[in-house]
Amino acid sequence: MNESSHTSTTMERQAMHKTPKVNEVNEFIEIASDFEDPLEVIREALSNSYDAEATWVEIEIKQDDEGRNTLIIEDDGHGMDEQDLESFFDLGNSNKHDAIGYKGHGTKIYYKSDEIRVESVKDGNHVESVMEQPWETLNNHELPTYSVDTEETDETSGTRIEVHGFRAGQGFDPEQLTYNKIEHYIKWKTIGGSTAWHFDDDFHEFDIEVTLSPQIDNTRKPIETTNKLEFPDENLHPDGEFVAERMCKHFPPRELTVTLDDGRELTIEVVGMVGGKEARNELPTYGKHSAQFGIWLAKDHIKVERYNDAIGADNEFFHFFFVANCQSLELSANREKIRNKSGDVYQAITNELERFMTKVCQEEWYRDYIARRKLEDKKRSVQSQESSLQDRLVKTKEQGGLSPSNPAEVIAALERYSANGSPETVEIADFRMDEEVNAIVNTDDGYKNAALQAKLSDFFEDETPLTHIDRFICWKVGDRDALTKIERASYLGDPIRFDFSNNEVTYGEEDKKTIPVLELVDKM
Amino acid sequence: MVSFDVIAEAGETRRGQLQINDRTLETPHLFPVVNFYGGGNEPALFGGGIHRTVKEFMVNHPPTTGGTDYSDLFGGVMTSISSLTDYGIREKKLEEYLDNEIREWGKFSDYDGMIFADSGGYKILKQGGELEGEDFTKDITQDKALDMQLDLGPDIVVNLDHPIHPDDEFEERIEKMEKTAVNARQLAKRRDEVDGACYLTVHGYYEAMLERSFDAIENELDKPIPEVFDGIALGSLVPRKDNVEVLIEAVSDCRLEMQQRGYNDLPLHVFGISGNAMPLLVAVGADTFDSASYLHQAINGKYCVNLFETVPVEEADFHACDCRICNDGLHRDRMRNRLDDLYQKDILGSVAAHNLAIQQRELRRFRQLIAEADEDQIAAYLEEAVKDQKGFRKFAYKLINERIKPYFDDDGETSYA
Repeated sequence: MNESSHTSTTMERQAMHKTPKVNEVNEFIEIASDFEDPLEVIREALSNSYDAEATWVEIEIKQDDEGRNTLIIEDDGHGMDEQDLESFFDLGNSNKHDAIGYKGHGTKIYYKSDEIRVESVKDGNHVESVMEQPWETLNNHELPTYSVDTEETDETSGTRIEVHGFRAGQGFDPEQLTYNKIEHYIKWKTIGGSTAWHFDDDFHEFDIEVTLSPQIDNTRKPIETTNKLEFPDENLHPDGEFVAERMCKHFPPRELTVTLDDGRELTIEVVGMVGGKEARNELPTYGKHSAQFGIWLAKDHIKVERYNDAIGADNEFFHFFFVANCQSLELSANREKIRNKSGDVYQAITNELERFMTKVCQEEWYRDYIARRKLEDKKRSVQSQESSLQDRLVKTKEQGGLSPSNPAEVIAALERYSANGSPETVEIADFRMDEEVNAIVNTDDGYKNAALQAKLSDFFEDETPLTHIDRFICWKVGDRDALTKIERASYLGDPIRFDFSNNEVTYGEEDKKTIPVLELVDKM
Repeated sequence: MVSFDVIAEAGETRRGQLQINDRTLETPHLFPVVNFYGGGNEPALFGGGIHRTVKEFMVNHPPTTGGTDYSDLFGGVMTSISSLTDYGIREKKLEEYLDNEIREWGKFSDYDGMIFADSGGYKILKQGGELEGEDFTKDITQDKALDMQLDLGPDIVVNLDHPIHPDDEFEERIEKMEKTAVNARQLAKRRDEVDGACYLTVHGYYEAMLERSFDAIENELDKPIPEVFDGIALGSLVPRKDNVEVLIEAVSDCRLEMQQRGYNDLPLHVFGISGNAMPLLVAVGADTFDSASYLHQAINGKYCVNLFETVPVEEADFHACDCRICNDGLHRDRMRNRLDDLYQKDILGSVAAHNLAIQQRELRRFRQLIAEADEDQIAAYLEEAVKDQKGFRKFAYKLINERIKPYFDDDGETSYA
């Protein structure tokens, strides 16, 4: 190494700090595209309005004849000032810390549009802001800008956001929306389905209205609801014969406390109901019900994912609808998943929940309900049995009495034949339904191995060996053609002959064997 | 003189005092099974091995106990006439054993607990009604069984029974119940010879079966049961010991049957069950138990962490245990095999004493709770006991809901968290 290079190395060792760079345009595009479910727009809007302490929020989704979409979100919350507007448009600059939408990502979904217009009144100031062509600008690798106009006003506070030309297809397709789907989503995935009101005396209630333009859904009236998820009415002991479906019991709010090994305390707020299908159908669900019932883990009292293992294998999850809220759960950015599943917090929550659910399942009313369901199922099967019996009765009358279709009925025919003075004794001494030689009969010549068949021809279809058979007892011979065919071809390699004038089967070449056949049909 | 006084009740759970002559036992109580005759001679407390060590704990033998008196773990013990021949003795030895009552042997002269002498019906039935030694077999009839029980100097005897089995055909079961009833009648005839308590065995897994068992006995006796017998012993549960639901039903229905027949003042003993099922069975009205599980667990190197869990003794954390054995450095060293010249019996004897201490501790706690007659506390105790036992807790919660205090009241209010 020469001297000069030594010097330059020393100089390069001077401390050098670099700041990671963010490609802001790409970030905006990324985040605006990150929301995959079109309904997430509604979730964001509701969370923002709730956090703004609104008493009502109205969401309108319109589509014009050319397929362009407009979203209008209006509430009477505390409104936004210029600084709040910055948070609204900036990335990662939320001024919310303990609220639901604290990451500051949600509103960026509106960037996928042709125009964002925000009007808001806060503390006597009216702010109006417009961002033109945000999506096109971002795709030209530029950051869009927005105008801000402020003036004094005596209007009450509130916010109105209009998003014009909202992009369909890639992230948001209003045509996929229906009122049913939205209502279900609001109640299951957003603040609109909150169970907080069970626990919080100062619960802040607000009204939600969602209107879709007729091009999107004209099947029913707009959605009007609140941010309370309510259970169907209790129906503990209904009268009537088939009532289990209507039965419903509420399990009132309860706070469960768990202490972790490190001394931290967790609180789990559980509330729920158990009920039959009719009762559960009163819950605002839509589509596949099996995906709704069971035990939900929640944060901010908004359901995240189910933990049906808490119910235990003895019980079917669909009787239950419980929400267990714990603020110590950590969620993924889109609130779809629990992030801290591998940790002790999740373990402690699920353990405690399992204990709690065992109590529910061992509760007397629940056990009565399950017993009642079983009983009613049995009663229903009795009813269907009754109608099948009626069918059978008609058929039996038509055929004029017993017409065996299985070996057990052949036994009944045989008994009747014996009772009516048969010339020989043939009594069943042992019968095993599934064996090839299914009976032992007691005859005047002692015990004999017998094959009992409704139709003799069926016996030969199964190619059962004749080695141990002393007697055939059948209701009727059956398909004589089939027997003739066997006679001509041989049976299991040996000659066989069916002689029905003498009621016997002869079989074999050298050790020829004769097996008497008792056909009952003409003897009754 | 025999008396059983219920001194506190909480639901169906009860605390009692069983007094037999001058000995008193607090119930619920566990009678550990002790084999007094484990082969060998008296100086070795009849037999070596862990059985001997257990007896040394029982009679407070300082070199074994380290000077601390642990005999209260053995306030009442269970032994069986069938255990006399457990070690394949000759007839002469059997006669020698039976020549002196247990307390007449020098080593046991200070033992002041109660001795429950079982007839050994289960084992004797399995051996075709015989007691087998090395050079003899003896047909055991009710009379012979009682003679042998009395030779042990017992405080409690019980009739020779014919335990039923879950797989028995109906007819077989009836036959066994009738034989048991005939034996009960025979014991009743000789009631005056017993200077202590006479227990009556009944068998069954649910009400209808128990009803039949009681009926069979009542038909044989010419006096009401409480005039002849001082306690009821429920047998045949050992083959079902792992099915806690069956155990609860059996004990609960037996109690119910006793109530309906007016024998509710008699103590109810449950044969052969201990450990994890005990709290739940106490909660439905069992008063006493017997079991050798503390010993068998130790023989298999298992150390009880609590009623539900065992760990290999090498992995045990003695400092996490509050029992007296684990608080004693000598026994910790023994269980850890840290001393020179230790035999297995020294290591496992201490483990057995610990295992027993754990079970006795739980019953002691339970007795205190019952004394306070607070159903909430009993429910909370049961809940805490089974908290992490998935298989058990549903039965415990069911029991609490139905028998003690529902978690969810009908008015929609919660009773306790």
